[in-house]
Amino acid sequence: MSDDVLPRLQVRVRGATPARQTPARRFWRVFTRNRGAVVSLYALMATSVVGPLTVGLLAINPEAMSSDVLDPPSLRHPMGSDYLGRDVLGRVVHGINTSLLVGAAVALTATAIGLALGTMAGYRGGWLEHAIMRLADALLIIPTFFLVLSIAFVFGGSLVSVVVLLGVTMWPPVARIVRAEVLSLREEAFVLSARALGSSDTKIMFREILPSTLPPGIAMIALLGSAGILTEASLSFLGVGDPNVVSLGQMLTNGLEYTTTAWWVPSFPGAAIFALVLLMNVLGDGLNAALSPRMWGR
Amino acid sequence: MYRYIATRVGQSALLLLLVVSLSFFFIRLAPGDSVTYLYGSQQLTAEVLRNIRHEWGLDRPLWQQYWVYVQNVGRGNLGYSQINQQSVTALLRAIVPNTLLLMAPSILIAAGAGVLFGIAASQRVSRWSDYTIGGLSLVGYSTPPFWLGIIFIVIFASHLRWLPTQGMTTLGGDQQGLTFAIDVARHMALPTGVLAWWYLAAFARLTRASMLEESGKPYLMTARMKGLPERHVVYRHALRNAAKPILTILGLQLGTMLAGAVMTEVVFAWPGMGRLLFTAIIQHDYPVVLGIFILVGTVVVLTNLAVDLLYLVVDPRIRYV
Repeated sequence: MSDDVLPRLQVRVRGATPARQTPARRFWRVFTRNRGAVVSLYALMATSVVGPLTVGLLAINPEAMSSDVLDPPSLRHPMGSDYLGRDVLGRVVHGINTSLLVGAAVALTATAIGLALGTMAGYRGGWLEHAIMRLADALLIIPTFFLVLSIAFVFGGSLVSVVVLLGVTMWPPVARIVRAEVLSLREEAFVLSARALGSSDTKIMFREILPSTLPPGIAMIALLGSAGILTEASLSFLGVGDPNVVSLGQMLTNGLEYTTTAWWVPSFPGAAIFALVLLMNVLGDGLNAALSPRMWGR
Repeated sequence: MYRYIATRVGQSALLLLLVVSLSFFFIRLAPGDSVTYLYGSQQLTAEVLRNIRHEWGLDRPLWQQYWVYVQNVGRGNLGYSQINQQSVTALLRAIVPNTLLLMAPSILIAAGAGVLFGIAASQRVSRWSDYTIGGLSLVGYSTPPFWLGIIFIVIFASHLRWLPTQGMTTLGGDQQGLTFAIDVARHMALPTGVLAWWYLAAFARLTRASMLEESGKPYLMTARMKGLPERHVVYRHALRNAAKPILTILGLQLGTMLAGAVMTEVVFAWPGMGRLLFTAIIQHDYPVVLGIFILVGTVVVLTNLAVDLLYLVVDPRIRYV
């Protein structure tokens, strides 16, 4: 025991992290160094508040038709109107709300599954670990986009089922990181003492170990969100999305034939997808840097 | 080493079986069976339908049907598309070369330029050129290929009128030889540009990260101490070691790259796999959609196997016991 106290102390000293700095502060210090990530965080937060508020307060009906068919952008229709005289801006706002909802739901589902399975695999070991990790390998290699596309095509893709499918197929990277973390954590003294106090395995896994794996476990959450948004948009674009929900991918595919005659119909929904994915990716890079263990103390 | 090869080959075989099994169950669980799919529109009596089902073996136990299906796929028979009046394999055989024609040059351009940019960025960490390359590749990586395609069409075709935007050849054109080749190349320019842009960003990001991973390693210091020119150290020593993780991740990303190609084809009406998939989804052509799933799955699984086995040859340090 006395052997490994010393090196651990050294690590603390070398890390030059003041003792009073909590992990949350340390995270914020590293995270705020990346200006782009901070801006993206605020922009995304603002969008997810303003979007639903606008739709709610102004009672925007995305299906409302008018006689202004294929009008170019003007003060009346800042993003023009489409082939049924619907206001493109109103539909884009609706689509952004849908996309953000999809991104958040996919990211949370995948992260939660990854955390749970990664913790179980790392802590229990044995056949369970083997089974979970082989499943993760399989999902990493099998092209998930075409898998989800086939399932949504055959069984009909409602928005909920597309989100669930994406969440269920995108967890392997999280599980891998978490498992590696748990493998070293389970040898720590606090796990041993919990076991000495008679805690059950389940309690040790989810009360003691899981909280410590959270930082690396949620490091990928924004990147998963951006992948979720882009994949859902792509599925809708190819025609296997939910026809009852206003989605950016669907607006794009329906506007495709107007590309040369009325560029605003497909261009603005696409620009919205691009902006969301870019913000999510910039935020994701920042989160990844601030939450990965090897970046700490820098 | 032989044990490692055997394990990897075995794993890949299992994955292929998994892909085929999944598509079998998708077909079986889909609403209606093949008989309703083929003859549903005709007014046939239950008696006739039962006979057809018996003839096709649809009343046999599920595991027998499964075994027949696996054997068929193994022989390269992916089913029959009633809508196209053609076997799925023949359809794909006619159309997959067009997709490759689009993907190959894009990957070549992207790999060459992306690796150069990635190296340049990794050599100047935290300087303005690194930030510029990093920022641009983040933008490129976040651009949905279908949207970039639309932007290209609006700029280069609607406004500048430089290039054609739809299809692979000029309609009604009856060119031969060189004029034909030039015509196809002109049609290829925009979709290839979209794909290359997207792939390039991924290559640059990967290369930068992978080169940085290598940068602190002692063997590079040794090479520099020997007095080797920096260019030699970077391109011959560091890049060779950095190439391994790049290739691994690209192997895993192949499915995503194919998905990008599929969407680009739809925007430009390019007569490839993506266009086929898009129309098959609209027409509810189950055999075609699942055939494409099996084909893409097979290609991706085999590519990943090939990448892993290639390391054994390329990297003498790897001797997986």
